[in-house]
Amino acid sequence: MPAITNKSVSSKKRKSTKAGGVPSSKRRAVAENESAESMVRIQQLEEQIAESRKHYNNIATLISMLGEDGQGINPNLPVAVSLCRVFSRLIAGGNLAEPDRAAENEKIVVAWLKERCREYQRILVSIMRQSDASSQITALTLAMRLLNERATHIPGDDTQAWTSGLFRSIFEAVVEARDGQTLRSEFLEKFVKPHEDVTYYTFMQLAEYAATARSTEILETLVTLLSACDSVPSADHEFESFYSKASKQNKKLLSVNSHKKRAQDAWLAVLRNNLAQPLRKTLLRIMVHHIEPWFARPEFLMDFLTDSYNVGGATSLLALSGLFYLIQEKNLDYPQFYTKLYSLLDADLLHSKHRSRFLRLLNTFLASTHLPATLVASFIKRLSRLALNAPPTAIVAIVPFMYNLFKSHPTCTYMLHRVVPDKKQKELEAEGMDDPFDPNEPNPDRTGAIESSLWEIDTLQSHYHPNVASIARIISEQFTKMSYNVEDFLDYTYQGMLQAELGLEEKPLKKIPVVEYQIPKRIFTDRLLEEDGGVDTAPGSLVRALWDFS
Amino acid sequence: MPPSQLKQLKSSLRESGVVGPQKSKKQKRQNARTGANANNRVQREAALDAIRDRFNPFEIRTISRNKFDVTTRDGGSKSGPGSFRPGVTKSLGEERRRQTLLQEMDRKNKVGGIMDRRFGENDPSMTPEERAAERFARASQKKLRKDSMFNLEEEGDEGGFQLTHQGESLSFGDGDGVRDDFEEDVDADDMSDSEMSRKRKRVLDAGELGEDELQDEEEVPGRKKSKHEVMQEVIAKSKHYKAQRQMAKEDDDDLREELDKGLPDLFDMLRSVNPPPKPEPPKDDFAAMNPERAAFLQGESQGVTEREYDQRLRQLTFDQRSKPTDRTKTEEEKIEEEAQRLKALEEERIRRMRGEEISEDEAGGVEEEVVELSEDESIPDDAKEFGLQQTTGHTTSRPVGVDDEDDFIIDDLVETRSDASLSFDEEDEDMSDSAEESGEEEDDQEDELINGLTIPGDKSGEASAMLESAQDTADGLAYTYPCPSSHEKFLHIIKDVSYENLPTVIQRIRALHHPRLHSDNKAKLGRFAVILVQHVAYMAEQPDHPPFAILENILRHVHSLAKTHPENVSLAFRAQLREIATGRPLNLRPGDLIILTGIIAIFPTSDHFHAISTPAHLCLARYLGQGPVNTLSDLSTGTYAASLALQYQIVSKRYMPEFINYVLNALCILSPEEPASPLGSFPLRIPTHSLCLNPSKSLNARKLQFWDITGAEHQSEDLKLSLITTLTSLLNTASETWSSKSAYTEVFNQAQAVLHHIFSTLKKDNNNKKILKTTVSTIQSTLSTISTNLKTAHLTRRPLFLHDHKPLAIKTAIPKFEESFNPDKHYDPNRDRAELNRLKADYKREKKGAMRELRKDANFVAREQLREKREKDAEYERKYKRLVAEVQNEEGREANAYERAKRARQGKR
Repeated sequence: MPAITNKSVSSKKRKSTKAGGVPSSKRRAVAENESAESMVRIQQLEEQIAESRKHYNNIATLISMLGEDGQGINPNLPVAVSLCRVFSRLIAGGNLAEPDRAAENEKIVVAWLKERCREYQRILVSIMRQSDASSQITALTLAMRLLNERATHIPGDDTQAWTSGLFRSIFEAVVEARDGQTLRSEFLEKFVKPHEDVTYYTFMQLAEYAATARSTEILETLVTLLSACDSVPSADHEFESFYSKASKQNKKLLSVNSHKKRAQDAWLAVLRNNLAQPLRKTLLRIMVHHIEPWFARPEFLMDFLTDSYNVGGATSLLALSGLFYLIQEKNLDYPQFYTKLYSLLDADLLHSKHRSRFLRLLNTFLASTHLPATLVASFIKRLSRLALNAPPTAIVAIVPFMYNLFKSHPTCTYMLHRVVPDKKQKELEAEGMDDPFDPNEPNPDRTGAIESSLWEIDTLQSHYHPNVASIARIISEQFTKMSYNVEDFLDYTYQGMLQAELGLEEKPLKKIPVVEYQIPKRIFTDRLLEEDGGVDTAPGSLVRALWDFS
Repeated sequence: MPPSQLKQLKSSLRESGVVGPQKSKKQKRQNARTGANANNRVQREAALDAIRDRFNPFEIRTISRNKFDVTTRDGGSKSGPGSFRPGVTKSLGEERRRQTLLQEMDRKNKVGGIMDRRFGENDPSMTPEERAAERFARASQKKLRKDSMFNLEEEGDEGGFQLTHQGESLSFGDGDGVRDDFEEDVDADDMSDSEMSRKRKRVLDAGELGEDELQDEEEVPGRKKSKHEVMQEVIAKSKHYKAQRQMAKEDDDDLREELDKGLPDLFDMLRSVNPPPKPEPPKDDFAAMNPERAAFLQGESQGVTEREYDQRLRQLTFDQRSKPTDRTKTEEEKIEEEAQRLKALEEERIRRMRGEEISEDEAGGVEEEVVELSEDESIPDDAKEFGLQQTTGHTTSRPVGVDDEDDFIIDDLVETRSDASLSFDEEDEDMSDSAEESGEEEDDQEDELINGLTIPGDKSGEASAMLESAQDTADGLAYTYPCPSSHEKFLHIIKDVSYENLPTVIQRIRALHHPRLHSDNKAKLGRFAVILVQHVAYMAEQPDHPPFAILENILRHVHSLAKTHPENVSLAFRAQLREIATGRPLNLRPGDLIILTGIIAIFPTSDHFHAISTPAHLCLARYLGQGPVNTLSDLSTGTYAASLALQYQIVSKRYMPEFINYVLNALCILSPEEPASPLGSFPLRIPTHSLCLNPSKSLNARKLQFWDITGAEHQSEDLKLSLITTLTSLLNTASETWSSKSAYTEVFNQAQAVLHHIFSTLKKDNNNKKILKTTVSTIQSTLSTISTNLKTAHLTRRPLFLHDHKPLAIKTAIPKFEESFNPDKHYDPNRDRAELNRLKADYKREKKGAMRELRKDANFVAREQLREKREKDAEYERKYKRLVAEVQNEEGREANAYERAKRARQGKR
């Protein structure tokens, strides 16, 4: 428990400073070196406050020492720590709680103290926003400790401190802090993740915070914060680790549903914000694993997903998996789904890095044997068109996929094998043939692909890479295999293929490679050209014709 | 109820005719005369045996019942209703044990003994009769065997056996009828007993006594011969007879041989066939023979000749067989042969291109053949000829071009030497002039000289300009160089050598370390080849851009080294490719491009799979597919890579998607206006800042230069235009290359669209028309090519007809019916498993058998031991009884004596 350790450490330090002022931490050491006497003075002031109420004015002195510059850029940390101790003590002693029937002057004292406390809090928050990383973290720790004290000891303040009071300002400070990378990670690691009540209130604050439009950087921060809390409680989860003891009494904090509700609200607030494209992609990427589990009612995601799906390009590809989840789990009815899916098969698809992801999903979408053959044929034909311009890694994945489609939709095999009736044969001889496939037709039911043939894959059977060529050849061999496991073909890269060819290190070759039997007369120059009668027929003539080597 | 055993026996005896009605005497006599008696006896024996067997229920066991009536193919040796003879087998086993196990038992714990060497004594398979017969045969053989006809000792022995009577030999005169005693004995065996006895008696009576007495009477009147003399006489006589007999026998043999010789003729005559003409007697050959040999044969004595003959024969057996020598081929034949060889190689290449598997040994064979050919003969390069123009060429003065590696070295050596017009001697002088040459190096020089002497005398009339220039400065070069073991050392060696002299240095290193000169040189040159590959890449990286002629020369050196060291060179190239693939896949450097160009020259890029071409393809494709397109130098590099990629496929015509993508993308980038909508399904990669061509008057398309690939930002508009031109012509070539592809339409429709776009944007400015003429005309011609090809493709397009396979048999679940199924057989389709099962069954059977045998052995041993014990006991008993009887006897006598004495006493009383 950071708060407790802090307390014990500070008490020890107090003793040690009393004993001889031997510093035990660097920060203290620096402070001491700079102003040893100020340390003594702080000590003195603090002790006086503890001694009697008449020294309460020392608080004001300390606060003024702390916020000398008013901005909290170079805070006097020992002062902050000692102030924290002072206030903690006061809060624990009930000095900040307003008794019902108190004397007028008492009330004035309490009000004054509250005012000072608020001032102190403000300064801490401004330290968190402005100062350097170590001060930020100290301020955060102190603020959280103060928050804990307040929530525990001030009646009626327990929820208020979390929901609207100190915690909100802490949260905002954490999110908006300058150079707050370490601060945020500290906040996450020390407070949010281990303490479920802090998580809960963080979600709550986040939802409120994100309700208004924010800048992209802030949103990114929020997404980072949110996605860090990825341990979705299961239905029978018991919440036990709380930061503040008072939280145990709060029934809301003990229910899984309310937790989920908070998280869902927080996510929704983020998703509804005006998201930039990269952030949207990030969100879509973590959608299935990080976001959707929080959602008790995933249909709230529908808007976001359909919007993303309609964006086109990579975003659509990414939205697809979330959408699929909704369709599958929540019975989402997406009109013209296959038309949209078909439109996703564009020139960039097979070159995109989301290719494997998309093909996996496409495999799922087209798995049903109840789909009309025309539709499946359109997909096959479109893919084969794209394969003509695709890298070998994509072709390797597409062809087995097509094979599986052919296997489950045997009607489509007309695209591979079509017996031409004799009558039509003559016509063909005379006029040739156009591809009946219409590549510009958006509706996959009307492309006429099933009338076409897969000349593209036929051409790819003479692909330059022998392995790709032999994979392309599977569609012209007998379909004896039940199906190919598409997963095995998906994640190839140029690097991997090259490595498969070349290996990682020098190894003796199994078979000595054949060497061209003839030493060419020329490689770059026109050596001995006149001997060939001025016509260059040796290998490499094309390059020599186009390029000038000099 | 069946009749009693006795009745059954009687009836069966009667049935089989063993007992029957009494035969009359007449019948008996008749039987005896015809020999039917013996026959009857045999029959009776057989019948009795059968009856005995039938009445012994334990002798023959039949399988009591069959579960199923089965007929099997393999005769039913086991499964048929067979019968066993357990008694017989049992007794056989017992017998065998007695012969083996019992012997062992007896010999157990005993040392020494007497070896019984009598023939067949321990052979249980022989009957005593056979044994006796064989022993007899051996004994007589031993007697008959004589080492020499003049062996006196043996004779003496024989003489010792001779019977004498009163000092006279008991021989019976000279007559043929006279026999030795033992001979008579032998004969006597054949005769019946009665006959023999009678004959012997007669002979003995008549001859022996009578004649001997006559002789004695004759010699009595003369001087009585001493015993020694008589013995001498007898010996002489007997020797004489023996010799005579021998001679007669030889005469008989000769005669018989002669007759035998005549037999085939006789047969032929019987078959009325003319006998083949007899071969001339060999002596007639003397005239035709080598006179020396004839003289030798005639003159020398027979023994010497034979010895000589033997010697020669022996020599001949150890002589190497002479081989037929090839006659020197004519020029036409050589050309023909070379053309054949090239054709074979080309066919091999085409097969590899189609990806047909070459069996390992075959490929190796071809390889070896190639190497052999190139090493053995210097065949003129007929590449041109192979291009089907056998017109000029083959001037004998000089092989055209270079083909095989020896040629290559020699060729270049000749070129340099002839150009420098230096004789080798002069070179030697030069060498001695240079101070730093040591004596050791002189040796090396000599080696080179020796190597140089193999150079054909003819001198080449032509030499490349590069080598000429190399020769000009050659004076400053050392003549010997060590073979470097690493690239650093090589760099050290050549640090003072100018680029122009590098080929000379390399050539000298190669000549100095020719594999024929030292066995280590092959390995050294292998390393050197690797270094050269590294050096090519290294040189291309140099900022001062070494001339390409040098690079080309080094690459050709690498190629010729690759013929002898294919493994080293391949590994070196693979190492370079690996470096590219891991270090800078998307940032090809000039050195990489040169290496990739070198691969075209050295390896067949048309192969379906090749350990170097395939990765090289991938490297290029990867660059084309993913490389940057941000600057003009990027585009130049890409264009060069695209040219290389197309060059790789120019023969095998394989489709390369990355090439099309890149070329179309580059054209889109360079076009004066960016296309409004995508022109095809290739992915559009846009550079960070626009590289659009800005058409203006001063533009001039030129041939691209290799060094454009390294940042040539000046003259950028010119370069852009040149790039457009080059890319367009690449498309043109690609369109020709892939015109037969079935998806030609789909591929080149995009190309057409892109080119149209560029064409239209270029033509917008009418005033530029003239200046951009070359570019526009290139585009136009390409467009026309593409449209022609598109038309053809349209006409030849047919629906795919890929699955014209023979329909596959439907898999059936009906078990395969086995004709004449035998349950004892195992129809396991899995060979290994069947084998294993058979082995297991064998093992089990053997184990069972062995156990049974062991058990029986143990029984036998126990039985024998019991028998022995019984015998011993019986012996003891007998002894005991005897002793008791003896004692009783004695005691009885004593008792009797006592009784008698007593009686006597009583009697006295």
